Amino acid sequence: MHIVVCLKQVPMVSELPWDPRTGRLMRGQAEGMMNPACKHALEAALRLKEEHGGSLTALCMGPPEAEEVLREALALGADEAVLLCDPRLAGADTLATSHTLARAIQAVAPDFDLALLGCTTTDSETGQVGPQLAEELDLPAAFNVEHLELTGRALTVRRVYDGFLETLEMDLPALLTITTQEFAPRETPLGGLERAFAQASVRVMDAEAIGASLDRVGDKGSAGRMLRVYSPTAQKKCVLLTGAVKKSVQELFERYGDRLGGLIGQDLASEEEGHDQ
Amino acid sequence: MELNPCLKHKVLRKSVREFAEGVLGPIAAEIDHQARFPWEVVQAMRPLQYFGIQAPPDLGGAGLDTISYAIVIEELSRVSAGVGLCVSVHNSVALYPLLRFGTPEQIARLAPELISGQRIGAFCLTEANAGSDAGGVETMATRQGQDYLLSGTKIFVTNGGVCGLALMFAVTDPGAKGRAASVLMVEKERPGFAVGEIEELAGMRCNPVSSIFLEDCRVPAANLLGRPGDGLKIGLTALDTGRLGIAAQALGIAQAALEAGLKYAKERQQFGRAIAEFQTIQNYLADMATEVEAGRLLLYRACALKDAAKNFGTQAAMAKLFCSRTAREVTNLAVQIHGGCGYSKEYEVERLYRDAKVTEIYEGTSEIQRLVIARGLLSQPTAGRAV
Repeated sequence: MHIVVCLKQVPMVSELPWDPRTGRLMRGQAEGMMNPACKHALEAALRLKEEHGGSLTALCMGPPEAEEVLREALALGADEAVLLCDPRLAGADTLATSHTLARAIQAVAPDFDLALLGCTTTDSETGQVGPQLAEELDLPAAFNVEHLELTGRALTVRRVYDGFLETLEMDLPALLTITTQEFAPRETPLGGLERAFAQASVRVMDAEAIGASLDRVGDKGSAGRMLRVYSPTAQKKCVLLTGAVKKSVQELFERYGDRLGGLIGQDLASEEEGHDQ
Repeated sequence: MELNPCLKHKVLRKSVREFAEGVLGPIAAEIDHQARFPWEVVQAMRPLQYFGIQAPPDLGGAGLDTISYAIVIEELSRVSAGVGLCVSVHNSVALYPLLRFGTPEQIARLAPELISGQRIGAFCLTEANAGSDAGGVETMATRQGQDYLLSGTKIFVTNGGVCGLALMFAVTDPGAKGRAASVLMVEKERPGFAVGEIEELAGMRCNPVSSIFLEDCRVPAANLLGRPGDGLKIGLTALDTGRLGIAAQALGIAQAALEAGLKYAKERQQFGRAIAEFQTIQNYLADMATEVEAGRLLLYRACALKDAAKNFGTQAAMAKLFCSRTAREVTNLAVQIHGGCGYSKEYEVERLYRDAKVTEIYEGTSEIQRLVIARGLLSQPTAGRAV
């Protein structure tokens, strides 16, 4: 069995500096990390490989720094790592991204049985690349998968969808996107890290190498246009209640009783009345 | 601030930090307060090869270089110095001398259990009358046929309460000049090997530091490391490597104190603004960061020399001297920035302050480090020149 797992490097938001003037993330200064859902997809792939054997190819589109997440994948047990790195691939929307990934998978793993992705990425949260990639590759697919079982060539997957628990069956080859509910990522073994750098290598490929047509990739191949990115800022306003304590308390409950009650799980208005009697 | 010589070290640091913060972070304060050795963390570390960081892969080790080793100890110690200490001592002064001086038979017999972490290693040199003066060891190893009979008392043994294999320094030839000492590898289950009470120490409290009593403890001559009388040579070689580990540990403590100081200085408001806006606090932070950066470079250079198979003893002593002083000074300033809170067990810096001090004492006091450095400077014609 040959599994391909697609990984994305995202900015580590917890350590990301903000431009206080514009309120925007300063992405250039961000430390990269493997997208959390991708980590879970990788874990699912590693468990399948351990149970059923076969090989695991890790695939990542990104700048040269994204090599880091592929080395991590190699350290954890991926057999092969491919970095799609080409300035012409930059600025891709989900459509161009899935087109690029599809060509890459066909180029480096034409015999693949299963493609796994994280359900969403923390830097854009669209959740579109998985479904679009399944269309590009014309594969049966399921998204937001929490549990999977493989018997022979038959895949049984479970997911929560619209509040319902769904169980789906499909044959390989197939594509799944994995949530962060299950498949808790394993810790990295130190010896795996040494092997990932001393023995394994990361294959770097550009648009030509994967046979992608240049008008379908990167900014040029993107149908969507990003008009503006901004961070919603919460407005904080201090409210000063003046007057006698009893009056202030009464006003406090009148204005915010529903929220205060929610915090401690009680209907405060009725209790307040009780005290008055 | 790029802390990592190459991408491998960067990925390694991230992985170890994730492990340390995730597994060790939530219990770091508790294991210090309760002086509890976290076996559950040992169990988690075993399959990840933390007990064979530099051991060869064919024996089950991770096969990493010395800078990687320093990074692992630094990142563990940044979260819990007592656990960093356990891993450092095990790797550098127990496993390393065995791999370096052991016979193929000894390595095949004893190394795998150390590398897998089934046995935790200890290094037993210090006695009531021997410490900085390694020649003062009074523990005796008397040859009896194919065995040695060990008698004596070791004190302040790091990992003492949990060790499975101890490297024991004992006099094998009391008649020889300088009372020739040797190293015997003693498994804890040998009759006559007894662990004393766990010491009540100021810092490193999760590490069960103890005395070890040897009463006619019979050890086969096959467990003698090196030749009879090699004790001092093995000990000094082990300590050169050990010092890199303690320097890394001190650096991890200092790094944690710097981060805690920075965070608190930005949060704490006095006179209507964050105390980080006051020049005095800024001076403290600037000094702390400068010391930490300098210590890191000194340590990595010593590690790189070891990896290049060059003499690194002088640089290891410099790194240990500098990083341990840095740890003491930086934790002191971090407590100062925290004010009264820094003196409270509720805040991490109180623990860092206690943990830091001993790095100036064990595996060679700062006074001994200066002696080693001066000896290196005065004995080698090229020493002291910039290379």
